[in-house]
Amino acid sequence: MSSLTSSLADAPVQDTTRVRTRSYSNRHWGNALFVLPFVCVYIALLVIPVADGFWMSLHDLDVLSGDSTWVGLQNFVRLWHDGIFRGAVWNTFVFVLMTTPAFVALGLALALALNRQDRTGTALRTIFFGSSVLSVTIVTLVWRLVFMTDIGLLANVMHFFGLSAINPLTSSALALPAIALVTVWWIIGLPMMLFLAALQQIPEEIYEAAAMDNASRWRTFWAITLPSIRRTVALVATIEVILQFQLFGQAQLMTNGGPNNASRPIVQFIYEAGFQQWALGYSAAAAQVLFGLMLIGVSIQMWLSRRHDAQ
Amino acid sequence: MSTQHIAGKRLGDRLILLAVIVLALIWVAPLIWVFGLSFKPNAELMRHTNVLFSPPFTLKNYTDILGNSSVFRWILNSAIVSLGQTFLTLVLCSLAGYGFARTEFPGKKVLYIAVLAGLAVPEQAVVIPLHHIFADLDLHNTYSALILPRLAAPFGVFLMTQYFKAVPKDIEEAALMDNTPRWKIFWRVVLPLSVPAQATLGIFTFLNAWNDYLWPLISASKPEMYTLTLGLATTQGNFAQSEGIGFLMAQAVFAGLPIFVIYLFFQKYIVSAVAGTTVR
Amino acid sequence: MAGIQLAHIQKRYGTTEVIPDFSLDIEPGEFLVFLGPSGCGKSTLLRMIAGLEPVSDGEIRIADQPVTHLPPGARNLAMVFQHYALYPHMTVRENMAFGLKNIGLAEAEIERRITEAARMLELDKLLARKPIQLSGGQRQRVAIGRAVVKEPGAFLFDEPLSNLDAALRNRTRVELARLHQRLKTTMVFVTHDQVEAMTLATRIVVMNQGRIEQVGSPIEIYRRPATKFVAGFIGSPAMNFIDAAPIASDNRHLTVRLPDGTELETAINADQLGNGPLVAGVRAESLQIDESSPIRGRADVIERLGERTLAYVTLRDGAVVVAEAHRESPIASGDHVGLRFDTRNIHIFDQAGRAWHGN
Repeated sequence: MSSLTSSLADAPVQDTTRVRTRSYSNRHWGNALFVLPFVCVYIALLVIPVADGFWMSLHDLDVLSGDSTWVGLQNFVRLWHDGIFRGAVWNTFVFVLMTTPAFVALGLALALALNRQDRTGTALRTIFFGSSVLSVTIVTLVWRLVFMTDIGLLANVMHFFGLSAINPLTSSALALPAIALVTVWWIIGLPMMLFLAALQQIPEEIYEAAAMDNASRWRTFWAITLPSIRRTVALVATIEVILQFQLFGQAQLMTNGGPNNASRPIVQFIYEAGFQQWALGYSAAAAQVLFGLMLIGVSIQMWLSRRHDAQ
Repeated sequence: MSTQHIAGKRLGDRLILLAVIVLALIWVAPLIWVFGLSFKPNAELMRHTNVLFSPPFTLKNYTDILGNSSVFRWILNSAIVSLGQTFLTLVLCSLAGYGFARTEFPGKKVLYIAVLAGLAVPEQAVVIPLHHIFADLDLHNTYSALILPRLAAPFGVFLMTQYFKAVPKDIEEAALMDNTPRWKIFWRVVLPLSVPAQATLGIFTFLNAWNDYLWPLISASKPEMYTLTLGLATTQGNFAQSEGIGFLMAQAVFAGLPIFVIYLFFQKYIVSAVAGTTVR
Repeated sequence: MAGIQLAHIQKRYGTTEVIPDFSLDIEPGEFLVFLGPSGCGKSTLLRMIAGLEPVSDGEIRIADQPVTHLPPGARNLAMVFQHYALYPHMTVRENMAFGLKNIGLAEAEIERRITEAARMLELDKLLARKPIQLSGGQRQRVAIGRAVVKEPGAFLFDEPLSNLDAALRNRTRVELARLHQRLKTTMVFVTHDQVEAMTLATRIVVMNQGRIEQVGSPIEIYRRPATKFVAGFIGSPAMNFIDAAPIASDNRHLTVRLPDGTELETAINADQLGNGPLVAGVRAESLQIDESSPIRGRADVIERLGERTLAYVTLRDGAVVVAEAHRESPIASGDHVGLRFDTRNIHIFDQAGRAWHGN
């Protein structure tokens, strides 16, 4: 062993560390066995499908015969001219713009109000978070019942106030906002909990110092609370943009994209193109567009919050 | 002045609390309304639905569900898929998380970055190729097809890696001094310490699997392979002319109540799971 | 009971050199303390002996066997960590048994060792508890117990007392000394606390920036520090350092002039030193308040410690020194006082930081 040591004394550092440490428990090929199972699954079920999806988007695929023809960017050109797809992109954007600010604002408001260590706080948090654990099918079932024409809960309330009631899901102007409302109702719990966790990280002394400095509630919020949780605000906004771009179940189950395509999101378009019309290449191309839009959306958001941080 | 100030603050607190309580009541109103009416006869509900708490009551809507044999099959499917996915995710992610956080091997950093890059891939970008792959393997309408795709999600690896990085290194070093081989350090020392993270990841995975809609919708075409989430969607397809809205309401309660009860039981863990994953 | 030899040990992190070239023989059965400021490489050295840190170059031998590349478990050592590193999910008994089971020791022997260690460390009643149910001092004893049951060739301690409060630290120190007397096993102990080093060590290794400044018994290190660094690091209050210029003298002994004009004749042979500027070092106990002395200064702060009194005195040139007064001395802050140097105990440091002593 000592002869090995001295013979290597003049060798470059990198080489010696590799030789030297082989007998140690650290840095060893064998350690790769820990990550191997996951990496295999990851490659088979994520890396290959992503590549496959990209390949498919450049082909025209015949499901029955299994033939595929190279069509270049033709699928994307067709998408560009497809009014229904453009409508779906528009709907998705509008939906993201309606829900994300609502999640941030309402989530933060609830977190501020419920940041209390008593039973009332716990009970109210349970209520607002509870609906998040329900599946999309239960949520849409409940809300379709609520929105039912004439006999739904909404209609009952409207009648009680002497107003005429309509089913928002049958109106092209109201369908998408109604889906947005249901979505906020469904998963407001996540942003609320993220904000609560962030609020609890702010040391109590800072608030006590602010109180000694005669800061009002409003001023405390703007000058102390908000700057302290700025990163969480950015995080929540990013998470919600990612999640809401993927709108599917609520729209498909409540309106099936209607009326008059007013509430069809991109994912539903992908689903219908792929699994109802079996235009797999076309559908894969639409999926690439969604992927790209989400990356752009998240990049913009990160850029904005970075710029804000830099200021 | 200062007493006035404090009194004003107290009043403000009360008003805010009151507003939130009112909002909470509005929040649960749809659930209570559906729950209440699910015990009423369909015929009555056809006429009016503003009669929550007045008789007659009936359990017929629920006995109708129990008469529908596929519901139990769907619950069984959901349980198998969710538990299977949870178990396999915990195994894969714990191993990989430990490997990335606490061991060294050539190429580790590059591999970890490549895995994290997968966080950016939305499920929708891969469902079409996945459908293709599973069709080629002739695996659709099997539990494998329902369980496998989500195992590739890198989130769990990220979570476990972060957790293992936070475990004090000297405990592992003490085990090294105690003649413990690497696999045994993982199995006997580090894994028992990671129970909180396992619970977090397990709850997340289970809920996601139970509530998953898009992939089962694509992969499972035979009703006997539906999950509960998917099966419930198919029964509300013909909404207007279904067995009656009382029946639909009972269905919502029947499907939602168990998971809600589980939520109430594990609430503490779920909440800390949600909160703990991002704040570090 | 095993000796440990370190021969030309080097440690690099990338291009950063933490330990340039370190050699030391640790005798079987001795209590050796690595003492130095944080970042001096003493913990790295201990972890290299333990096998937790790879050695960049050099050789480690334990009980005359080369172990440089052996995994930590194969070196017949036990370590007590700074934060104890108890396995939180195991009971005290399981914590102690874990390492013994790993080497396949018979159940009866494991039981015997645990019982004996538990009695010795007063852990009998705690064996079924988990670490979280123990106080800091109890956890410390479990960590020591876990090391003791392994009956290792040598014990390694990585600042094990730094997480205890002052009273508990003193008591555990005495317990450790007793443990060493009883087991007579080699112990290697890392600390930045000079009191721990002075009280526990048979030999102290004072380290600075990865190098040995001095190796010696506690008294040697205190009485005859090898370098200015050691002189300043050991002793409380810290040794006074005063600039000193050598002056020509007929005497065989070195005579120096201090900035305030005072001339002092030391007990050091003048031949050994050149004519460059020097630094004189004197401990407070060798610098007494004495009204009859012509060396004058103003006492600014008085610290009464009970067994003695310290005075912070500003000399005429503005330098501040710490001097000792009798414990019942009536001295008050603002007093003008006289200082008497005990010239036999003046240390002289040359420009390289090397120390020269009288006698």
